Amino acid sequence: MIFLKSFFSREVLIYSKKSSNVISPVIFFLICIAFFPLAVSNDPNELSKLAPGLIWICILLAGMLSIQTIFKEDYDDGSLDLFYVRGFSMLEVVLVKIFVNWIFTALPLILLSCSMVFLLYFPVDKLFNLIGSLFLGTLIISFFGALAGALSLGKNSILASAIMLPLSLPVLILGSSASTYSNENITFFILLLSALLFFSVPIISLACVGAIRLHYE
Amino acid sequence: MNKLFSAIKLFYHKLGSYPWFYSISSKFLPISSVLALMIFGIGIVWGIFYSPSDATQGEIYRIIYMHVPAASVAQSIYFALATAGFVYIVWKMKMAGLFIKAMAPIGASFTLLALISGAIWGQPTWGTWWVWDARLTSTLVLLLFYLAIIGLYSSFDNKKSADQAVSILAMVGAINLPIIKKSVDWWNTLHQPSSIRVFEESSISSEMLYPLLVCILAFYLLVFVFGLMAIRAEIAKREMNKEWFKKIIIKND
Repeated sequence: MIFLKSFFSREVLIYSKKSSNVISPVIFFLICIAFFPLAVSNDPNELSKLAPGLIWICILLAGMLSIQTIFKEDYDDGSLDLFYVRGFSMLEVVLVKIFVNWIFTALPLILLSCSMVFLLYFPVDKLFNLIGSLFLGTLIISFFGALAGALSLGKNSILASAIMLPLSLPVLILGSSASTYSNENITFFILLLSALLFFSVPIISLACVGAIRLHYE
Repeated sequence: MNKLFSAIKLFYHKLGSYPWFYSISSKFLPISSVLALMIFGIGIVWGIFYSPSDATQGEIYRIIYMHVPAASVAQSIYFALATAGFVYIVWKMKMAGLFIKAMAPIGASFTLLALISGAIWGQPTWGTWWVWDARLTSTLVLLLFYLAIIGLYSSFDNKKSADQAVSILAMVGAINLPIIKKSVDWWNTLHQPSSIRVFEESSISSEMLYPLLVCILAFYLLVFVFGLMAIRAEIAKREMNKEWFKKIIIKND
């Protein structure tokens, strides 16, 4: 428990000292969103129809960029070796790292996607659906991304994307459907997303531990 | 019962040994390849020349004798990969890791064959090469999983960690595939009513069904042969400098 607490504060300290970790996904997200009206159409009706899908794709891509490097710095400077050699519970390390990364990179994006009501003419009455599905979906995406990052430690990042994106396909489908359809269907998709979250947390985090371990064998 | 169990256990332990597998597979390979080619020939000739033409689709439906077996084989190989991944993670059987490495390109090729033959079939019957139908989409994702496994394997220099990494990925992918399939179904049924049915298997007449079943059997046998060949090639690559392998090579010369 003491380890968990001190490790948590270590991670928080790292993220708060290095603001580029927090700011660059936000910039990426905004640029991506801004490019769609330029490339597709600036018609408000069309944009509001496309908005849920666009927001979800941009969130997925921004999350992909930030989560893949989650273990990279610790691996490069050798602290991950030390955690491993000292016999710390790798499961706790993985869970804390994913959670802190989610707080610092995904939460700002979720808050920012509220502004899509103005930028992409996202329908206001579905905003709660979007935010709810984003909360669950980004957590699941973080787990898949962490697994991809752990598997491809020390390799190029294209590989990690190629692993992560097919895995996160159900999240994209369920999430964008949850923010597209009317309020009667929303509970169905939210329940499915939470089921997916509870299902993937134990399995994916254990797979993550295994993936980190294979780099030290 | 106990005897059977110990026999299975012995077989399992033997299966993990490269020299045993290499020698036993060289006995199986000629027989099974002749058998596979024969059944493949029978199935294809039966399907193309001796089965009736379809009432609505005419002659074009005959691509079913390529398309359905390829799609079925593609899914089965992924299931086999995931099982091998589980075996590798739990029991550290080195043959299982090698199996994944050898079978993944074969599975990817059959998935690609299923997609391409489906597109060729779809053009005259539906009027388009590609539809974002549930089945097509999940086959495309299956291909992506195969490619991810191949890419991940090739990024490692150390064979042992490569085996472990692809085992983890194959298992996680196998857990995820049914979820993807189901979610694509929901997405599809909500987006559009299912106006297109890929094929109606239940209503297929027995004169078409029998050659189809023969073709499916032939494809599984072909995969068995290809798999044996790929595994043998991979064993040869890994054990090139070992004594037992050199002995076999010298003996065959």
